[in-house]
Amino acid sequence: MNQKKKNYIKHSYIFKALAVLAIITLISHLFREHLDIINIGLIHIIPVVIVAIHGNMKATIFITALSVIFFNFLYIPPLYSFSVHNELYLWSFIIFAVVGWIITVQAKNLHTQTKQNELRESLLHIISHDLRTPLSTIHGTINLILANDNMDKKDRKNLLEDINYASLRMKRLITNLLDSARLHSDDIDLEYEWCDFEDILGVVLKDFSQKQNDELLAIEIDDLSLFWGDNILLTQLITNLLDNAFKYSKSDTKIELKIVHFTSLVKIEIFNQSEHIDKDKLKNIFDKFYRLEDTNDISGSGIGLAICKSIVKLHGGEIKAVARDNGISIEVELPITKKATLL
Amino acid sequence: MKQLILIVEDDLSVKKLLEITLKEYQFNSISSDGKKGAMMLFLTHTPDLLIVDLGLSDGDGKELIEQIREVSKTPIIVLSARHDEKEIIAALDLGADDYITKPFSINELLARIRAALRRKAQEENISQNVLCGELEMNLASRDIFFKGEKLKLTPIEHELLKYFLLHTNKTLTHKQILKEVWGVGYQNEMQYLRTYVNTLRKKIEEDSTRPSYIKTESGIGYRFSCNKE
Repeated sequence: MNQKKKNYIKHSYIFKALAVLAIITLISHLFREHLDIINIGLIHIIPVVIVAIHGNMKATIFITALSVIFFNFLYIPPLYSFSVHNELYLWSFIIFAVVGWIITVQAKNLHTQTKQNELRESLLHIISHDLRTPLSTIHGTINLILANDNMDKKDRKNLLEDINYASLRMKRLITNLLDSARLHSDDIDLEYEWCDFEDILGVVLKDFSQKQNDELLAIEIDDLSLFWGDNILLTQLITNLLDNAFKYSKSDTKIELKIVHFTSLVKIEIFNQSEHIDKDKLKNIFDKFYRLEDTNDISGSGIGLAICKSIVKLHGGEIKAVARDNGISIEVELPITKKATLL
Repeated sequence: MKQLILIVEDDLSVKKLLEITLKEYQFNSISSDGKKGAMMLFLTHTPDLLIVDLGLSDGDGKELIEQIREVSKTPIIVLSARHDEKEIIAALDLGADDYITKPFSINELLARIRAALRRKAQEENISQNVLCGELEMNLASRDIFFKGEKLKLTPIEHELLKYFLLHTNKTLTHKQILKEVWGVGYQNEMQYLRTYVNTLRKKIEEDSTRPSYIKTESGIGYRFSCNKE
């Protein structure tokens, strides 16, 4: 219902143009003696212009055709017929179409520019917020340590762990931003090589805190099979998936990571417990800057999962989020395109 | 006797940080902000180790590494920005001993400096056994022991582990390992290396997803770590 209404508002300019066309027809008809055919032709361009500035090519074609038909049927001799005696008028019709086309293309460019600007602004906003959150942790904690000379060792260590974790978070965000720029330029070439997911995990886990590593993560990975893919991007994929799971899991619950090789695909599954989640919203969680509502207190730009999706797509795979009874499971399937020949 | 380290770095703040740190940790240092000056200092002062930034204002740090390797085996540690994996690999293949990326932690840098200096000292007086954590290799019999027991290894696993044990605490590029263990012509056969690193980890690591010996340097190669002493 809502959606329909929105669609109606979005396309209301077409109805405006139709109304204008009707008025023009009326005026032209009443004053046909005083207005020359040239002027009548020119005012028939007005509806075309009205629609074209909205940048919708289909709508432009529709209104241009309609204008031409009205103009032809009512004013071009022979009157009240679609046939055209003087072929010069065919040129008029072509000019209608050209005008419509030029304006539509220009309008389209303008629209994308505005959209990009909006995106850029929200990006800046998110980055500054997301960088500032860990930075304030670092800053505050360091000041606390500096001010307390007699702090006991254990407290100090805990605080240092916090600093370490915050700095790792900043590092990940920066990596993600750089990668996101790279992944969204169209001509990216994957650097294919033989990848071992166990090896990749080893690299990924170095970037998480000791506690996350030892207490909160359960890993299940089957025996060695090599996968033909981009090692750096797959590392980034696993990092983001884990980061996301840690961020949104209920505190002190286990994260389960499973990597299983089948004959034609590799399946990566990562599960974290969380509060109840609206299933409809799960579809959007791979969109850039999308975050589930009521997660505002958690630092994150929503950029991580969008990058996961790009990486999976680049490898020809699928990624989806599934709601389980007590949490979310993100499931990735990567097709196996090449099998390793071993000694 | 204090050891002398030559710093080749054109970023003044990084250079200053390095000088102060090295002084704090009982090293002497001299520094140059360019390639040419560095070569002069190297020849006149014969430092024990070099720290070389790859992006120098008067040229590529790799050229300096190449020139130095023509005349000397002095350990070289490369400093580089992230996202420079290809540069790092090229520098290591040219004979640099190790690398560290900016921003770096001082402790990590010091660990790498010490490891490189220790390796240099070891090479000068080869002992009977190589010890690394709970691994021990008898150089005469070539047997490798883990927790006191002889390890059961396939010939290639044995060769690979031997190579690692002889080059501990040093970043080894994929190419270098493949060339040394499998031979010339195998430099690009990554699937062999991945496979054997995986099976070797199963035999010597407690948890192969959290390795303590064979550490992966993503996009570059492996480092066999012996800090578990």
